[in-house]
Amino acid sequence: MDRDEIIRVLRAFEASGLEYVLIGAAAMGFHGLVRATEDLDLFVRATSENIERLRAALREAYEDDPHIEEISSADLLGEYPAVRYYPPTGDLYFDVLTRLGDAARFETVDAEIKDIEGTRVRVATPAALYRLKKGTVRAIDHQDAAALRERFNLKDEG
Amino acid sequence: MKADVPVQKFRSIENMNHAPVSRSRLPDFERFLRHCARYWAIAPKVYPRGVFKFRTIEEAQKARANH
Repeated sequence: MDRDEIIRVLRAFEASGLEYVLIGAAAMGFHGLVRATEDLDLFVRATSENIERLRAALREAYEDDPHIEEISSADLLGEYPAVRYYPPTGDLYFDVLTRLGDAARFETVDAEIKDIEGTRVRVATPAALYRLKKGTVRAIDHQDAAALRERFNLKDEG
Repeated sequence: MKADVPVQKFRSIENMNHAPVSRSRLPDFERFLRHCARYWAIAPKVYPRGVFKFRTIEEAQKARANH
């Protein structure tokens, strides 16, 4: 994962006006819980206009990679709420979500604004990340949830 | 034992494990980026290109496990 590539993508997200919230390991990194990852996970607001902003941002970051046009509103707003994009640089990928079952979508994930080199990044709060991770089946998510709970003294909601 | 000195000495591994770890002065996200870069340098992977669609997050995670 190339540092400058990440910054470039986050800058393109902001410039395009993309409505998104960063989740996953990158979001945990913003909160000081550092572990390696190969991907950037994000919820995006599920509207056609916003999916076009996503495509525009990725085109800006990846010099019009033709595969970007395969990211469609029809899919993300319809039968395929999870889309994975592998850019041409080849050392990271993006998991773009519009909803996670009935549990979560852009509008339900609490977020805060972080800054990286003058770029504003919308990042899920520790409590929101904890809620997303604690109920999943992957071992890594359980570890993340435990780390979040301990670091931020989070409690399970009744 | 102060955590911010460059060299720390311990009489046992137990003492070492209980000692506070020196905190980097780098911003959190910068530490994350550097950590990922090190990970990539140690264990690079070859990914496919393009866009893949999934009906559920579980499908997406299963596909990721096959990298």
